[in-house]
Amino acid sequence: MKSLESDILLVDDSPDDTDLALMALRKENLANRIVIARDGEEALNFLFCSGAYSGRSFDNPPKVVLLDLKLPKIDGLQVLQKIRNDPRTRSIPVVILTSSKEEQDIVKGYSLGVNSYVQKPVDFDQFRSAVRSLGLYWLVVNQPPISKSLGNV
Amino acid sequence: MPHGVCYLWNPWLVWLHVISDALITFSYYCIPFVLVYFIRKNRDLPFNRIFWMFGTFILACGTTHLMEIWNVWHGSYLVAGVLKAITAAVSVLTAAMLIPLVPKVISLPGMIHLQETNRKLEQKIAAHTLLNTPNETPLRRRITGSYIVAVLLITFIGLSSWRGSRLAADDSDSVAHTYAVMDALELTSKHVIEAATSARAFALTGQVPLLAHYQTARDTVAQDEHALRELTIDNLTQQHRLDVLDPQLSATLEFSERIVSKRQQMRTLPIPAEILESEQLMNAVRTTGQAIQKEEMQLLSQRTQKTRTGRRLTSFIIVVGIFVGAGLLTLARTAINREIAMTAGARSQIITLNGELEQRVEQRTAALQSEIVERKQAEEALKKSRATIEQAIKELADQKFALDQHAIVAVTDVQGTITYVNDKFCSISQYTKDELIGKNHRILNSAYHSKQFFQQMYHTIANGNVWHGEIKNRAKDGSTYWVDTTIAPFVSSEGKPLQYIAIRADITERKQVEEALAIQAEQLSQQAVELLQSEADIRKLNEDLEHRVILRTAQLESANRELEAFTYSVSHDLRAPLRHISGFSRVLSDEVGSSLSPEAQHCLERIQEGTRRMGELVDELLNLARIGRHAIECRTTDLKEIANEVIAMLKPETEGRTVEWHVGDMASVQCDPVLIRQVFQNLLTNALKFTRPRACATIEIGYMNEKDQPTIFIRDNGVGFNMKYSDKLFGVFQRLHRADEFEGTGIGLATVYRIIEKHGGRVWAEAELEKGATFFFNLRTQQHLEVSGKVNDKETRIGAHV
Repeated sequence: MKSLESDILLVDDSPDDTDLALMALRKENLANRIVIARDGEEALNFLFCSGAYSGRSFDNPPKVVLLDLKLPKIDGLQVLQKIRNDPRTRSIPVVILTSSKEEQDIVKGYSLGVNSYVQKPVDFDQFRSAVRSLGLYWLVVNQPPISKSLGNV
Repeated sequence: MPHGVCYLWNPWLVWLHVISDALITFSYYCIPFVLVYFIRKNRDLPFNRIFWMFGTFILACGTTHLMEIWNVWHGSYLVAGVLKAITAAVSVLTAAMLIPLVPKVISLPGMIHLQETNRKLEQKIAAHTLLNTPNETPLRRRITGSYIVAVLLITFIGLSSWRGSRLAADDSDSVAHTYAVMDALELTSKHVIEAATSARAFALTGQVPLLAHYQTARDTVAQDEHALRELTIDNLTQQHRLDVLDPQLSATLEFSERIVSKRQQMRTLPIPAEILESEQLMNAVRTTGQAIQKEEMQLLSQRTQKTRTGRRLTSFIIVVGIFVGAGLLTLARTAINREIAMTAGARSQIITLNGELEQRVEQRTAALQSEIVERKQAEEALKKSRATIEQAIKELADQKFALDQHAIVAVTDVQGTITYVNDKFCSISQYTKDELIGKNHRILNSAYHSKQFFQQMYHTIANGNVWHGEIKNRAKDGSTYWVDTTIAPFVSSEGKPLQYIAIRADITERKQVEEALAIQAEQLSQQAVELLQSEADIRKLNEDLEHRVILRTAQLESANRELEAFTYSVSHDLRAPLRHISGFSRVLSDEVGSSLSPEAQHCLERIQEGTRRMGELVDELLNLARIGRHAIECRTTDLKEIANEVIAMLKPETEGRTVEWHVGDMASVQCDPVLIRQVFQNLLTNALKFTRPRACATIEIGYMNEKDQPTIFIRDNGVGFNMKYSDKLFGVFQRLHRADEFEGTGIGLATVYRIIEKHGGRVWAEAELEKGATFFFNLRTQQHLEVSGKVNDKETRIGAHV
């Protein structure tokens, strides 16, 4: 049974990247409720409470979605577009975390309504620092759009 | 003798005459003044000569009456007679002038016309005015009648007056005569008695003075008696009496003489008988004298009685005449006044009419003036047009001359009979004018052209249109010639041709050339067909070529897309494993580093360093690729500002070093500021890097004109390089220094080269080993950039088309 509730939905097909990200977050004790989706489809199932995640409720959306762009099946930008096009998921904060620093990706991401765009640095220290900052910011500093889930915590 | 004597100085009679004459004179004198006034007021009055005559006549009449008054006290009867004669002459003349004038006066046309006009005008004014208008003709007749009556009356009065005055004069003469006879009789008696008395006294006294007195008296008696006889010579009765008196006088005187002589000679006194006889003699004389006197007095009485009757009649006539005349004059005055009033009315009417007439005349004059102006203008225009026509005629003549000089000219009538040819026509056709004129134009027919050709030509010109074409004609000697022909019909106002003018130019030579050309053209067209064939081939080849180009372009684009995909993969897929190596080696180092041997730790560090450098390399390669795809966005850019910003950015890298920056003035240029910033960043980073061995690094950024090109240079006092490797300087991954000396990827200058190349500029370097290096670059002017942009556009369009 997959975890149905999460603070962070990490969408990345690379186990290396997700492991490194989890390592970085764990060090800050922020890795408690992380759900990892390996492709776009799984991410959408989770967010729209369908498929394997049909038992989920829209009442507990993740506090942030960390979204890679290059994904099997449905790519990151399409996932983003679906999130933003549905009123139930529209307000969920989404951060693009990707290797690409291509201008067209950045421009398209922002035009589809992404909240932040972060390139994964090659250097691990920098990578760790970036992930840590993101976790702290979105889980601790930022006020999520739906506060109901906080009560459940 | 004054005329008063005739009136016996009876005051009543005298003053009756005088006052009457005075009134008549006054009246008569008044009339001419009225007439003169009338004539002066009516200057257009007809027959004013008769008015003058009439005035003169009335004046003369008045003067005779004035003379009458004069003659009452002074008997200037001669003057009176002359005056009357003048008056009579004037009267007769006036009457003579008047009589033929009467019918004219009756039918006075001017006045009638005026009255007619007046009547018409009054008709127009109002109906009642018309009704009240009196008929003037009877009045005129009345006036004329009254005038004639007045003239006759005045004539009659004049004649009566004349007769009266004549009677008065006669009367006066006879009275005077009677008194003269009586005076003479008295003198005679007195002298006789005086002589008798003196003689008797002398005889009685003998006194001498008495004798003298007697002699004086006696001497005058004869004279007295003679005078008496003279005075009474026209009266036989008195003459008889004088015959009685004469012996009585002689007896008395003889007796007196006798007693005187008796006294003187005898000195005796007369006896009483003698005195008695003397007394008797004197009584006899006295008696006869008294008889004569009585006779004279009786005569006088008879004459006076006779003339008094005549004078009474005359006076009556005069008085009646005066009243009738005065009445007539009053009538005449009234009539004249009416006439004057009518004339004045008519005149005012005439003045009005005149005014209207003048106005019309003015209008007409204005119209006439305008007509004159128009006519003048028309004349001007006519003159101009005549001048134009003359000019045109001259021009026509000139043109004809020019035409004759230039062209072959012929004129034919509608049947085609030649009526005119010029010299050129004769020259080319070899006919003389005489041979041509009167002949039909067909004599020149060369039989070259078809019947339809000439039918079409005649059809065109017969319909009044100009025909133009080329005709082959036959000359007299049988040779043919070509003429370029224009036939123009001269058409009537109905549009029908009257005659035709044919203007021709000899084109025989041209025709020959044309024929030659036609042959050549045939050959050429053959060649052209061949050429067209080869052109088609070429086109086909071109099409193949274009097809190939399209294919090639598609291939290139495909390659480009692959390259982009490759770049994307590099950025995305190559970086991921690097990151993983870096991450996991770091985790390993963190987790187990302390338990590893120093050599193993070093290996881990080397792994991390390698991944870091690999990451940098990938990033810079991506950057270079991005620049290749980046479209230039030019704007005015302050280069000095960019240089200073880059220097500020590089500040952290200069920590612990002494670096002198010299930034000179630089112009603002048109360029892409993002890319040029990258140029400065790479070049200044290099300058910093290669001056690291220097205790004091000096880096100069400046601006100069190199061959009229604004050029930027960056000079350092670093390690420099050997110029023999300068060709490798801007190549990708080309390095002139060992990595352990100066780190680097070999991509920075390649990037600079790419950017400057994209700006259409040039970058180059001058250096010497250990003596520093100078990098130069320039940018193309804006115009060049625009041209370059257009070229790019074109390429893009071709690309899009493909």
